[in-house]
Amino acid sequence: MSDQPTQVPPAAPEAAPAPSTPRAEGHSGGGASRREGSSGGGGGGQRREGGSGGPGGPGGPGGPRRGGKRQYFRKKKVCRFCVERVDFIDYKKVEMLQPFLQERGKILPRRMTGTCSRHQRWLGEAIKRARNIALLPFATEL
Amino acid sequence: MKERLYDLIFICRPATPEEDINKIVATLEHSATEHGGKVEKTERWGTRRLAYRVEKHREGFFVYMVVRSTQGDIIKELERRLKVSDAVIKYQTIRLDEELKRQQKLVHHRERRASHRPRKQAPPAPQQQVPPPPAEQTAAG
Repeated sequence: MSDQPTQVPPAAPEAAPAPSTPRAEGHSGGGASRREGSSGGGGGGQRREGGSGGPGGPGGPGGPRRGGKRQYFRKKKVCRFCVERVDFIDYKKVEMLQPFLQERGKILPRRMTGTCSRHQRWLGEAIKRARNIALLPFATEL
Repeated sequence: MKERLYDLIFICRPATPEEDINKIVATLEHSATEHGGKVEKTERWGTRRLAYRVEKHREGFFVYMVVRSTQGDIIKELERRLKVSDAVIKYQTIRLDEELKRQQKLVHHRERRASHRPRKQAPPAPQQQVPPPPAEQTAAG
């Protein structure tokens, strides 16, 4: 570390290109130049810390897209029953229950239909009752 | 004892003649009355396609009844008769009075809430009295 002030004047012409191509300097130079590169990089490293604060900062509603497989935030879905203020989901009304079933006859999950938890429970009960009395299938073949 | 409300659905074989269905309905009504119950409503939904095969049938004649009673034994008797009957291939009884009670409670709560608190309309945009600094400076200057 005490060598730095003596090495600074000869390192001055090298320090100028150092921030621009620090890796090249490190590869081409020897051990001494590497230290200079590292000291130059030490000065530039402080700037990099500011850069590393970016992804660590607030992601926002979309969230950081890692992998890009699925969107974190989907279009907001409202519970159909809450909007209509339905108090009783009738198992006899098959046409009302049909949209909540998959093609195979399985019950759609809440996150797909946007139903609230209370109505999803009632819906499940109604569908199971309808299945018992052969109004709805248990499972269909594709 | 509290009055209970039941939904009863049963399915007859598709080729059953209407007289037999009437006979079954009459028997059930008679049993219900004997056990202190009352058949409030009877609906014949007709021949409908079944969602899956029941006793090798793809269709069935649906009959829907609403039974009101103070005794719980009535359902046992009605289901026994349905089980014994040859024409009936499937039946289901659902107790509905608790659900209706809950439904009424929800409606009641909602009405009470609506009557107690009149919906506050959004207040007008708040008046932000921020004196513009440059204007003051120019006035002072």
